[in-house]
Amino acid sequence: MSTLAPLVLLTPLAGFLINALFGRMLPRRVSGWVGAGSIGLSLVFALAILVQVIGGEHMDQTYFTWWSSGLFDVPFNLYVDPLSTLMILVITVVGFLIHVYSIGYMAADRGISRFFAYMNLFVFAMLLLVLSGNFIWLVVGWAGVGLCSYLLIGFWYDRPAAVLAARKAFVMNVIGDVGMVFAAFVIFLNLNVLDFGSVFSRVHQLPKGGTVINVICLLLLVGAVAKSAQLPLHTWLPDAMEGPTPVSALIHAATMVTAGVYLVARMHLLYDWAPQAATVVAVIGGVTALFAATIGMTQVDIKRVLAYSTMSQIGYMFLAVGIGAYAAGMFHFMTHAFFKALLFMAAGNVVHAFHDDQDIRHMGQLRRGLPVTFWTFLIGTLSISGFPLLAGFFSKDEIIRAALSAAGIEFVMGLAALLTAGLTAFYMFRLFIIAFGWEWLRDDPRHLHEAPPIQTIPIIILAAGAALGGYFPVANFLEPVFGHAVDIGTGAFIALALLTLVAAGVGFALAYLVYARRPELAVAWRARLGPIATLVEHKYYIDELYDRVIVRPGFALARFLNNVFEPRVIDGTVNGVADFFLLESREWRLIQTGRVRSYGLWTLGGAIGIVGLIAWTLGYLPFRSG
Amino acid sequence: MVVAFAILAAWELVTAAGVVAFRRPIYNALSLVANMLGLAVLFLMLNAQFLFAAQIIVYAGAVMVLFVFIIALLNPGVDLTLQRGSTEWLYGIVMGVLFAALFGALLYNRGLTGRTGPFTPEAISTTGNVQTIGAALYTRFLFPVEVTSILLLMAAVGAVYLAMRKAE
Amino acid sequence: MQIPAYSFLLLSGGIFTLGAIGFLIRRNPLVIFMCIELMLNAVNLAFAAISRYLNSLDGVVFAFLVITVAAAEVVVGIAIIVQVYRAGRDMDVDELDLMKQ
Repeated sequence: MSTLAPLVLLTPLAGFLINALFGRMLPRRVSGWVGAGSIGLSLVFALAILVQVIGGEHMDQTYFTWWSSGLFDVPFNLYVDPLSTLMILVITVVGFLIHVYSIGYMAADRGISRFFAYMNLFVFAMLLLVLSGNFIWLVVGWAGVGLCSYLLIGFWYDRPAAVLAARKAFVMNVIGDVGMVFAAFVIFLNLNVLDFGSVFSRVHQLPKGGTVINVICLLLLVGAVAKSAQLPLHTWLPDAMEGPTPVSALIHAATMVTAGVYLVARMHLLYDWAPQAATVVAVIGGVTALFAATIGMTQVDIKRVLAYSTMSQIGYMFLAVGIGAYAAGMFHFMTHAFFKALLFMAAGNVVHAFHDDQDIRHMGQLRRGLPVTFWTFLIGTLSISGFPLLAGFFSKDEIIRAALSAAGIEFVMGLAALLTAGLTAFYMFRLFIIAFGWEWLRDDPRHLHEAPPIQTIPIIILAAGAALGGYFPVANFLEPVFGHAVDIGTGAFIALALLTLVAAGVGFALAYLVYARRPELAVAWRARLGPIATLVEHKYYIDELYDRVIVRPGFALARFLNNVFEPRVIDGTVNGVADFFLLESREWRLIQTGRVRSYGLWTLGGAIGIVGLIAWTLGYLPFRSG
Repeated sequence: MVVAFAILAAWELVTAAGVVAFRRPIYNALSLVANMLGLAVLFLMLNAQFLFAAQIIVYAGAVMVLFVFIIALLNPGVDLTLQRGSTEWLYGIVMGVLFAALFGALLYNRGLTGRTGPFTPEAISTTGNVQTIGAALYTRFLFPVEVTSILLLMAAVGAVYLAMRKAE
Repeated sequence: MQIPAYSFLLLSGGIFTLGAIGFLIRRNPLVIFMCIELMLNAVNLAFAAISRYLNSLDGVVFAFLVITVAAAEVVVGIAIIVQVYRAGRDMDVDELDLMKQ
């Protein structure tokens, strides 16, 4: 295993290097297959690791010391346990499928080698993030995925919207990075170590629920919230949909945005020790789940609906890890990776079919035009809505169940999650009905083409995952990390499952009624809800709020600095220093006569002076010093 | 011995003054030759026979011949060093006096101090002067000798390059 | 009768001073080079004397190295002087002030 783990990491890196260095020389096809092949190879190694982990092996191996300075030791160590194995498996499986899909999706794009280079670099950074055994390398991977996210959102750099979205995502992610770095500082200050093994074993030296551990956990949470697009740092994720659709599927749905969930789960010993911070995690998760779901109901851009859906589902995961149901959170992470990647890739096919038009109101007729996409998207929609016996049903139920069996604010969040389950079914079927079309709704003369097999086969595989992923014994697999989950009894189990089913069913029924049977109702209800609907349609005006409170004052400050502070104070100081020396040098450069003899004079004088001074201070001259 | 040293010392100072004071470069050069020959004899008095030989061969033989050649070749005119009304040379005299004063003061106050080594004239004469120095050069001082050899090589290359270059 | 060490050192200092003065007041580059040789010779004398009176070989070896360096320096220096002369410049170091700012 100690050789497999670095191999998992290094194959995507090799793919990145090949595409980055020789991408221009490679034929377009080769570029794509190098990108996908490196992830496929990584997947093989990840499966080999899985076999060993199932056999009960764990690993925390140091490969080399990055730097060492007094107390401060930064090793490069990889930490392999069931949790990180689950992560690398999902990353490599979903990553591989999305890479294959991208070969078809990006086939016509000029920058295909650049695209695959970025994607491979992203997979490398993400794997580093989950395999790292200490905080420094965690932060390296953390910042690395943020960088790749930035590069890929702004992949089409000639589109101003993409560039702005990339910048926004990067800035928000950096807020999180800073939180992470500060968390590492505080951990090091209090525990004197930065590798996970030692931190976990020493965390009990801190007082339980004390300020220090809560500060650590909240700082980590800042990083997690920014990376996972939770309130209040969520606004970058919908904008990030400006990137190519495979990017949205891989980075902004399946893997990177769930890094925050992984972080909390990985640090579960810390969060167990800081109940207050854990409650904050749960509240953020529950509120975001509900909040994003309401926005998702009003959006008309297919990818943005899915983006808000992603936020909402990650909210579920946060809720789960916040209330201590870590295995449930990771389970939902896995199923979500399947069905959300599937939804995004199917949406990518749809968007391609409609010539990059993402407005769901312009779509329709998809069952005949894009049958494979249609049926797989339906499976994804059913799965995310919690249709019985599909993957989303199991994982989401487990979270709602865990939350509802808690007390206090966590119980309230459980109710919010239940409501969100209904909303999820509503907005997903709204999307499905409007975009994919009940044929009788409109008559579309456009002739639609299904995507080539290289794009549909990965979707079909993911659809299988979205349908059957609920049967993987994830909770058992993760038991060595999180311990045994609480059993609540069969009766309560069935009752709660029925409750979520009812919520989802109501959501579905409403969507069917409003958008399929009686479209006039949508208009009427929209009019009746009035200002509330407007509020939601404008995403609660949070972008505008940030614009007023942060961005514009920031620009004003920048203008002040640029127009007043920079020329007067900074330039004044710098130029003043320069002017001073210029003036002085005008006097002094007369010394530089260019005459050898005058230089000789100065040299000899200097020698006499120095020797005389030394001799005098040593007392070697007749007249002594002191 | 003392008488010989006194004569030699006087000879050295006079010829050195000649190097500085003569106006025609050829006289300066000849004074320098005389000075170096005297210095060689002083080396002999100091039991440094090897230096004596090196001084005669390298300086009086090679370097000074080069000087005289060049003077004959370029035939520079009379030096206009001591211009009337110029006070520049005063700085040089003052600096020289200052240096001499410092040197004399140091010598007067400290004399010659230092740890003595094993190479008494008797010890040297048993193995032979040149052998002793050769052994020292190629054992203890090997690195400086190698560095000096590289310096010589670079000087040779530099001189050839300069000589081959066409004046612009 | 033994000649005291300081007499050699004094003589060395005297020759050095004369060389230094010559370096400072002469303008002919050839003569300036001779003055430098003079100073180097003075140092050699001091080295030899110290070597003799401390029963050590170090001084002699260093004097030997100084002779070598001096030879190298003269070769390059004279090559430069020849170049300057070929360029038609006066044999006056005060005229060679292109490096003046």
